[in-house]
Amino acid sequence: MSTLHETLGKQQLSRRDLLRWSAFATTGALLAACAPGVAPSGATTGDSAPAQAKVRIVATTQMPIEQWQPAVERAVDQLPEVDLVLTQTNISEGGWAGYSDRIVTQIAGGEQLDVIMIAIEGLGLLTDKKILVPLDDFFLADPTEKAILDNDIHPVLREMLQVDGKQMEYPFSWNNMVMYYNTAVFEEAGVEPPTTEWNWDDFLDTCLKVANVQGNADDRYAYSFWGNGMFGMAAWYFNNDTSPLNDSWTESNLMDPKVAETLQFMADLILKHKVAPNPQGWEEWAQFHAGHLAMRTCGRWCIASSLNENFTTYDLQYQPHRAGPLRTVAGTDGWGIAGATKSPDAAWSVTKFLSNKDASIDMTTSGGNIPTLRSVAELPLFAEYGPANTAIFYESLDYAKTVPSPKNFNIVDPILNRHYQTIWNGEKSVEEALAAADAEVRVEMEKLQAGRSSFAGVSTNKLAAACGCAQ
Amino acid sequence: MATVASHSASSSVSTKGWFAQRHTNRVQEIFAGYLFVLPAALSLFVFLVAPILAAFVLVFMRYDVLSPPEYVGLHNLNQLFADTRLREIYWNTVRFVVFATLFNNLLGLLLAMGVNRTMHAAVKYLLRTALFFPVLTTTASLALVWNFLLTQDRGVINFLLQQIGLEPVPWLSSSSWAMVSVVLFDVWRACGFLMVIYLAGLQAIPESLYEAASIDGANQFQRMRYITLPLLSPTAFFALIVSLIGAAQVFDNVWVLTGGGPADATRLIVLYIYEIGFKRFEMGYAAAVSLTLFLILIGLTLFQFRMSRRWVHYD
Repeated sequence: MSTLHETLGKQQLSRRDLLRWSAFATTGALLAACAPGVAPSGATTGDSAPAQAKVRIVATTQMPIEQWQPAVERAVDQLPEVDLVLTQTNISEGGWAGYSDRIVTQIAGGEQLDVIMIAIEGLGLLTDKKILVPLDDFFLADPTEKAILDNDIHPVLREMLQVDGKQMEYPFSWNNMVMYYNTAVFEEAGVEPPTTEWNWDDFLDTCLKVANVQGNADDRYAYSFWGNGMFGMAAWYFNNDTSPLNDSWTESNLMDPKVAETLQFMADLILKHKVAPNPQGWEEWAQFHAGHLAMRTCGRWCIASSLNENFTTYDLQYQPHRAGPLRTVAGTDGWGIAGATKSPDAAWSVTKFLSNKDASIDMTTSGGNIPTLRSVAELPLFAEYGPANTAIFYESLDYAKTVPSPKNFNIVDPILNRHYQTIWNGEKSVEEALAAADAEVRVEMEKLQAGRSSFAGVSTNKLAAACGCAQ
Repeated sequence: MATVASHSASSSVSTKGWFAQRHTNRVQEIFAGYLFVLPAALSLFVFLVAPILAAFVLVFMRYDVLSPPEYVGLHNLNQLFADTRLREIYWNTVRFVVFATLFNNLLGLLLAMGVNRTMHAAVKYLLRTALFFPVLTTTASLALVWNFLLTQDRGVINFLLQQIGLEPVPWLSSSSWAMVSVVLFDVWRACGFLMVIYLAGLQAIPESLYEAASIDGANQFQRMRYITLPLLSPTAFFALIVSLIGAAQVFDNVWVLTGGGPADATRLIVLYIYEIGFKRFEMGYAAAVSLTLFLILIGLTLFQFRMSRRWVHYD
């Protein structure tokens, strides 16, 4: 076979040669493209450059990526041995359940993640899949951080991120759910702001007074809520002394009459009193800022959009209460270290760095979650970045109840959401929807207790039989 | 004689050499040919054949993407018959495929005939571009816009309906209306693509046939019935197959517009497969459901080919 050199030397490139060399070139290019990279991740740029361990962290899109930019810049000076790579994974679709699914898929797809942000709702799944390693040994070897964990972080927040007594994450931030209300709308409607002691009757009375829904451009809804998502719904369940799951999150509690009572109260807001919109497709914040919505339930992270919009005519109050002790739902997130990390020490350095006071202050000033560090939550600036009653965010911690977060949260949460939708649109009664949801959740909880995290092995006929209703 | 013999010998050598050279060239050409198709064949194998083969293997496995696969025999196939949601979701898919394919093709054909009429060039190009524009835009962004339009409370369309005294429609929140919305969105988004296909078919029909028919006294309906439709039938056949398979594989429309809800009202089969595989991490069962879709699509395509003998005219 003639060589390219010979061919070119003859200055005659036949059609056959052209095809042949094209085929060689294309195949070579394809193989080169498919070949794994040969450059080591810790490659240095010269003799004097220190070797850097690449640490890839993944945060949620709940907080804007700009929030982490100062930390990344500080890392250049404070962590010279680390090449910090910041990534974000979408949380807006499916919440923490969807986020944890995506993390598992990323890892299964071969993506190297070293430090992972995850909240309690997804911690069970990631621990069950052995994605995270316990941090206890890191804390034991680092007395300074251990002292912070023990003394500057509330035990409730610390324990939320423990599994079987092992500290799986370094707590970074947390949230509860409080009532945001538009003070200008209340003033215009001549309604007194809610008090700490308000109950569901007071709430309904307020809704009826501030709502003005005529089907025109000036419509104003009294309240809108997350029609899906365990966190948003738990804010209501807990204040009626109930929960969709039992206290150990191992069994369905959906047939508790108080669950039905809670859902009926919320469905009535939409279907009977017509003071709340169907949550499907409803953009709460835009309407709240525009004065078309008087109240909504949210955590501190919702302050961020008000800061961005320079919206100031709002304040906060606890969720209205119905029965049992006063409660607020709470959930903590934090940084965990992936078991697959190639640089555990560097990953620990980054975990500490992203959990420290500076990172917490960055989050506080951007209107993000509530910092777990008491020393930051008690700073004057925490109150500065929020409305007048912003102190209730941290004060509520003493009677906070953890959001139900079973290991199969990523399966249970979508089941509940699917059935809630049929209540909000009036297609099923609360009792029918709960019976159907309960049947599905019970099957999943049985599998969880049997050590199976998926629905293989359990017939859905059993589900239908248990439900006794059309699926 | 010696000269003749010598010439004959040299001729024989030359002939052998010619054959040998020809053989070498032929081998080289075949080799080069295979080399040339190798990249495409490799891509096809890596991204199409291997996943299909893997799916057939996965049908008999329990696999959660992180733990090693475990052989479970026919369990996943048995699960197909026990899964009550699967029937409802397939029924949703059938309804979506029928209506989306029908309206996409009807509207695509009508639009193609509309823009194929004599009109000012600028208007023609503007119309074609405008009608094709949704095809060029990402489905996710379009679905977000439609979400704002169709929201029941304070959605743009309901606002307009209320302005003329009509009741708001629960476009996305009612189980019956949600499927209508999903089909509407798909037809609006995809009919431009079919318009282009039909337009190409219409423009391939010789003008002389219409002229001859006109001279023979054929009216517009007769020209349509006896010239346009028969000669357009190969194009329509292609468009039907492409749009039917495309409709059966729709994912992003419902993912962004309704998420499959309310309840399971707009959950289509591909979305369900995705959820089984990447939300519940049941890859074995997801492969089993994929297999059913694969077989149904093959069956439908073969049926269409068989039926095409009756109505597709290639001459």
